[in-house]
Amino acid sequence: MTTQHDAAEGDLAPEAAAPHDLSATTAPERPKPDFPWMRVPTQRGMKPAIGPQGLRLEDVDIDTYGDVPDRWPYRNDTPRGAFPSGSVGLAASYSIFDKVEVWSDNVRALYEDAIRDRWSSATDVPWDTLQPYPEHIERAICQICTEMSEQAYVTVQIFSSWLEKISYGFHEVKNFLATQIFDNARHVEAFRKRALANGGGLGIESPGIFHRGPAASMKFTELVIITNLIRAPFSLVVLETLKRIATSDAERVLYSNVVRDLQRHIDYGIGHLQFVISREPAMVEQIHAWLSRGEFLLVADQRRDQPLNEALILLLGKDSESGRAALEELRRTWVAYYLNRLADARLYDRLTKLTPELARFVPEGVEMPNTVSMRPPVADPVFA
Amino acid sequence: MAVDKDVLEMLRTETDYTGLGLDWLTPGTDWGVKSEPGRKGLTLDEINKSTYGEVPDYSSNFTARPRGAAMRPEAPRLGIRLQNKSEVWASTIAMLYEEAQARQWSSARDIPWGELTQLPDDLELAMCQLCTFLTQVEFIAGDLPGRFVKEISADHMEAGLFIATQIMDEARHEDVFRKRALANGGGLLQAGPGAVGLLQVTDYTEMTTLLHLVAEGFVQSLFRMGELIANNDAEKKIFRLAAQDESRHVALGDTHMKYLIETQPERKEEIHHYLDRQEGLLGTTQAGLTAGGQSAESLAILLGGGKDKIDAGYQKLLAVRKRQINEYMHRLEVIGLGDRRERMNPDMKQFLDPVRN
Repeated sequence: MTTQHDAAEGDLAPEAAAPHDLSATTAPERPKPDFPWMRVPTQRGMKPAIGPQGLRLEDVDIDTYGDVPDRWPYRNDTPRGAFPSGSVGLAASYSIFDKVEVWSDNVRALYEDAIRDRWSSATDVPWDTLQPYPEHIERAICQICTEMSEQAYVTVQIFSSWLEKISYGFHEVKNFLATQIFDNARHVEAFRKRALANGGGLGIESPGIFHRGPAASMKFTELVIITNLIRAPFSLVVLETLKRIATSDAERVLYSNVVRDLQRHIDYGIGHLQFVISREPAMVEQIHAWLSRGEFLLVADQRRDQPLNEALILLLGKDSESGRAALEELRRTWVAYYLNRLADARLYDRLTKLTPELARFVPEGVEMPNTVSMRPPVADPVFA
Repeated sequence: MAVDKDVLEMLRTETDYTGLGLDWLTPGTDWGVKSEPGRKGLTLDEINKSTYGEVPDYSSNFTARPRGAAMRPEAPRLGIRLQNKSEVWASTIAMLYEEAQARQWSSARDIPWGELTQLPDDLELAMCQLCTFLTQVEFIAGDLPGRFVKEISADHMEAGLFIATQIMDEARHEDVFRKRALANGGGLLQAGPGAVGLLQVTDYTEMTTLLHLVAEGFVQSLFRMGELIANNDAEKKIFRLAAQDESRHVALGDTHMKYLIETQPERKEEIHHYLDRQEGLLGTTQAGLTAGGQSAESLAILLGGGKDKIDAGYQKLLAVRKRQINEYMHRLEVIGLGDRRERMNPDMKQFLDPVRN
C-alpha cells in the first residue's frame, strides 16, 4: 500500500505520514545481548567450606558479603553485596537503617541453630503419654497453657509487624526474627494442644496489661528488651519449674522444647543489648527506662493475675502455704536469672534500679559490682 | 462443666488451701475435651473440638484471648481490625499450617552443597544473577503478610499462624538463594527493581491477590521447572524444596480467595481491579521474572545451556511463561474467577491455551 501525498494540499504533519511501504522486508535486528550484569564489580571467587553442620550463614557471609555497615544506604530491597540498580525506583517501607538498632553478633548462629532445633508439636511431643490429673490440677495446667498460648500469639503479631521496617542490609536479623516468629507460632498451638488434649479446656485470658509492652513499643530495642529479656526469662523459669513436676514425657518434651526456643530468643536479646551498649554507651539510661517500663507492666499484670498465681500455687505446693512459698521461690529464681542475663549483656547496675516489687526478690546482702569485669553476685539458677 | 463442686468446696474450705479465691477454676469454658493424635500426630484439626473449634464468622475479640477461653472485660484492646472470618480464612488453613510445620527444611544441611560443580562462567553467572533476583524479592513475601498479622483476631489465629510459617519459609528462601550465589565462586550480581511495589497494598485480600495468587504462583511454576534450570543436584534440590513451600502459599491464596468469593461475592470486581493492576505490572517490569530484564536473560542462558544458545533458551523461556500463565488461569477458574480469561492483560492473554470443552 502506498500513501499519496499532495504537498499542495498542505499536509499539516508530513513527518507523521505513513511510510510508503508497510510490508515486512527484513526482521529488525535485535541488538546482540551484552549482559552488563555479568560485569558488575561485586566480589567473586569465594569458595566457602562446608562445615560439620552444613553450609551456615557464618560460612557464606564472609568478606564483602559479611561486612554489615553501620548505616545501610539503600531504601529498596537491594541485597547486601549485590550491585545496586542504576535507576531509582520505589523506596520501601523500611525505617530502620542503623545497625545498632537491630544487630547482635550472635544472630547468624542463632538463625541456623533455630532451624537445626526445629520441632513439630504434632509429632515430636508424645501426647499419648499424658496422664490424667485431679481436675483442679488439670485446670491449673490448662490455665498456664492458656496464658502461654496467648502471650506467644501477641509475640507473633507484634514481631511480624516489625519486619517491614527493618532494611535488607540486616538480612541476618530478619532471618533470625522469622525463626522467633515461627517458634512463637508453634508455642501458640503447642500450649493450646496441651490444654485440649488431656480432658481439660482453656482457662481465662490474662489481664493483658503486659501485652501493652510489646504492642506499644516505639523502638525495636524496646520491643526486644521487653519480649526477649523480660517476658521470655519469666516464661523460661515457669517452664523449667513445671518440668520438675511434670508426670509425663509429653509435658517434659513440650516444656523442654519451648525452653530451648526461648533460650535462643533470650540470647538474641542479650547479644543485641550488648551491641547497643558497646556502640552507644549513652543509651544505658534509655535502656533502664525501657527495662523499668517492661518490669512495671509485668508486675502489674502478675499482681492482677489471680488465676495464674493460684494455678502455680496449686501445682507447686501441697497446701497454700507451701504453694505460696514455691511461687515466691519461682519469682526469686526469675529475678536472679533476669539480672544475670542483663549482666551477660554487660548491664551490671540494674540491681539498683529494679522495680520495688522485684527488688524484694534479690537476696539480702547483694552488692553492686565495682568493676565491669564482675557479674552481680546473684547465684545463677541451675536448671536440671 | 467445671471442677466438681465437692472438690471446689474442699479446696476453698480445707485449711490447706485457705486464702485462695479459686474462682478461675470455674471459668465457664468447655471442660472435658480430650484429643487423640491422629495419623499425622496431634494436629490443629484434632483439637478443634467443641467451642474451641467454632470459628466465628465475625469476631468481637479485640484482645489476645485465645478462641474458647473466658474473657476478662477489663483486658485492653490490641488493635484487632480484621474481624470478618472471610477476610482471612481458608478451609485448608489448619492443614496447611501443620504441613508447613512438618515440612521445614534447612538450607545448611538439606542441600547437598558438595554436589555443586564448577560451571562455565556464563552458566555460573546466570545462576548467580537469578539467585540475586530471588534473594532480593523473597523477603518482601514475608514482610508484606507480616504487616497484617497484628490485625488478625485470636479467634482466627490459624490465619496468623500460617503467615508465621510463610515468614519462615521466605526467610529460608532468601537465605538459600543467597547461599547458592555465594557458594560456588560467583557472588551476587546486579540488583533489579525488585518487588518493593508489592508493599504498597493496604488490604489483606489485596495482599493475597497480588502475592499468593499472582506473584508466588508465577514463582512456583518456575521452581517446579527447576530441573530445566538447575545444573546439578544441589540446585535441583533447592528448587524442589522451595517449590514445595511455595505450593503451600499458593494453596493458601487459592483457598482463601475461593472462600472470600463464596462468602462475599460482591468483592469479585474489586479483586479484578487488583488483577488488572498486577497483570499490567507483570507485563512490563522485572517482577514478571520471565518477562524481561536481567532475570529473563539469566533464565534464557540457563535454559539454553549457555549464552551462545540464548535464542534456544528464549524459546524455552516462552514455554515456561506459557505454563506460568496457564497455571495462573487454572487457579483463577478454581477460585471462581474464570471470567478473567476475557479480561486478562493482552501481554499475558496471548499465552493462554484455548478453553477445553
